[in-house]
Order: sequence, then C-alpha cells, then structure tokens
Amino acid sequence: MEQVNLGQLWQEQTSKINQAIALNEQVLQQILGQKAASVTQQFKGFKIRGIIIAILYLFILGSALCYAAVHFNRSASYFMVSVAAIFLINVKALADYIKHLVWANKVDFDGPVIAIQEQLARLELSLFRHTRIMILQLPFWTTFYLSPAWFPAGTSLGWIIFQVTITGLSIFITYWLYKNLRIQNAHYKWVRILIEGAGGKSVYKALAICQQINSYQAMEQLINR
Amino acid sequence: MDKQSAIYTAFLKELETHKGIIYKISYSFCKTKADCQDLTQEIIIKLWQSFVTYRPFSKNSTWIYRVSLNTAISFYRKEKTRNRIITTTHDSLLQLAEAAPAANRETDEKIAYLHQFLLALKEMDRALMILYLEGKTLKEIAEIMGISPTNVSTKINRIKVVLKERFSKLNF
Repeated sequence: MEQVNLGQLWQEQTSKINQAIALNEQVLQQILGQKAASVTQQFKGFKIRGIIIAILYLFILGSALCYAAVHFNRSASYFMVSVAAIFLINVKALADYIKHLVWANKVDFDGPVIAIQEQLARLELSLFRHTRIMILQLPFWTTFYLSPAWFPAGTSLGWIIFQVTITGLSIFITYWLYKNLRIQNAHYKWVRILIEGAGGKSVYKALAICQQINSYQAMEQLINR
Repeated sequence: MDKQSAIYTAFLKELETHKGIIYKISYSFCKTKADCQDLTQEIIIKLWQSFVTYRPFSKNSTWIYRVSLNTAISFYRKEKTRNRIITTTHDSLLQLAEAAPAANRETDEKIAYLHQFLLALKEMDRALMILYLEGKTLKEIAEIMGISPTNVSTKINRIKVVLKERFSKLNF
C-alpha cells in the first residue's frame, strides 16, 4: 500500500485554501468596531448578565440586612445572622468570580502555547474551587425565618424536631458536598452530573487540557534528566 | 493617515499575509462550519487586541501561530457565550470560494480524512502536528509551544505513527 505523505497532503490543502480564500474587510471592520475597540467590550465575553443579577441579589439582601439592623429588635436576631452569613458568602463568591474573570481576560495569548494553556486551564479549575463556597449558604436558608420570640420556647415539640432535622440535614449535606465536590473527584458520575448541571462543562475540558500539559511536562523532565 | 488608520492598515496587511494559517487552524479545531466561523472571528479579535497592545511589527509568524493556537485550544471556555460573539451579519470573515480548485477526488478524500484524524487528536498534539505540517522547524515549533525541540521531535514522531496507522487502515 502506498505510504501517505502527510506533509504533501497538507501542502495540497494549503495551496487550495490560498487560491480560494478571501478576507471580508467589511465584516472585519464591523467586528473590530463592535468587539475589540474598547475595554468595556472585552467584558462582553463575561457572564455579565449573571454578574448584574448577583449584584442586584446582593443589593436586596444588603437592604434587608440594613433595615433589620436599623430597626433592630431581638426577634430579628436569627434573620440578621442568617442573612448576614448568606450575604457575606455571596459577596466572597462574586468577588472571586469577577477576579478570576479579569485575570483570565488579562492572559496574553501571545505566549508559548503550553504555558498559556496551563495558565488558562488552572484559572478555570480555580474558579470552580472558589464558586464551591456558594454551597456554604444552604444551612442559613433553614434558619432565617426563625425568631427567638417563638423558637424554641414558644413552639411545639413537633416543630422543634422538624427544624432541628431540616437544619441538621442541610449542615450535613453542605459539609458532604463541600468536602467531596472537588476536582480530584471529577471521575465520579455524581460529581460530573453536579458540575455539568451547574454549567461547568468547561471545567472538564480544562481538566483534560491540564492532563495533556502534564504529559508534555513529564516528557520535558525526562529529557532534562 | 492618522495613527489609528495606520495601525489598522498594518493589521490588515498581516491578516492578508497570514489568512491561510488562521483558516487552517480554525478548520482543524472545529467540527462544524458555524463553529469554524466563530473561531476565526475569535482568533482575529484576539490578534487585533494583541496587535493594538503589543504592536508585533517586528515579529514573524510565531505571533500569529501562538495567538491563533491559544485561542483555538481555549475556545471551549467560550462555549456558553459563543452566540454573543456572532455579528449582525451572516457573512463570514474568511470565505472560501465555493469553486475552490479541486485537486483530484482521491486527494480531496485524503485531505478530508487528514482533517478527521487531526480532529481526533488531543488539542496539544493537534497544535504540534499543525505546526509540523505547516513546515515549521523543530526549533520554531519548540518556540511556539514552549517546550524543548527534543520533546517536539519525540511527540511528533509518535503522532505521525498514529496518523499513518489510521491512513493505512483505509482503502486507498
């Protein structure tokens, strides 16, 4: 059988492309005008809608917290502690998210491929690690509606058992998820379902890129020995 | 000519010279025509941003290869936002004429298989192979990829064996 000459095939393709390809300057001007001219345009690639919604959400939480603080009475103590915790966890998660996006956007693509891809993939994985912090707010959603005016003294034993079960369970789930929802466990089916459900397919892709880079670096070390 | 126009003209000249590279890289990293168009657009935007910031006038094609490959490999990160990138026009930036010159049926078939086999490679290996097929020297490939020439040579030999094996299973 005739050996296939890969280089010759590529050259055939190249000459075909070079003869037939045309740059559409009108589209180019439009794209550069729309997309690449200003710094604010660069932020369009971000999940900007999500960030705006998160800021609005934080504003509502913060307003509720301020209102409770100004008009404080003892009956709002569960509410204040719970909402303050939810607020702080969300602020931390949003700040980390924005910080990572800005870092990712600052990566200079004119660098060596292996180094730049390692930087981008690790950023993607580290973003996942940081957004994991969101899980920690779950138990506080089971306590914000309580009031010392009626809990635990003024309520039935049934309600107390129900409340303790719900809060205890949410603490357990939170602990378990926070401990196990890690990149190292990405090979488990349930981790994959949870990550992909949260729109994290790119996390898996980043993981695959990291594995490829590791194989290149391992070879590099072997050569340098 | 004002400064902005001069930069644009210089960029346009670079694009005209290297449009084939951009097209081939986009084509080698995408399964569908729509994705290929989006990636081409993304690469050109990255090139423009890099050009405006760093003005790589004195650089050779290394710059084009690095920016294009880095954009192509990390294209997965834009998966969810990809739709927002598309312009209001449906025309593509780089258009391959419908009446592209045909080599012969068998060569065209082989080229299609080569594309298919390249797509089946892992991203880093694909990038390496594209550079090799582009006729870059080991030293140039090592510079673009950021690894040693020995590493490049070892990897390329392995990938070549894989590709040739795949071709050997076809009935040509």
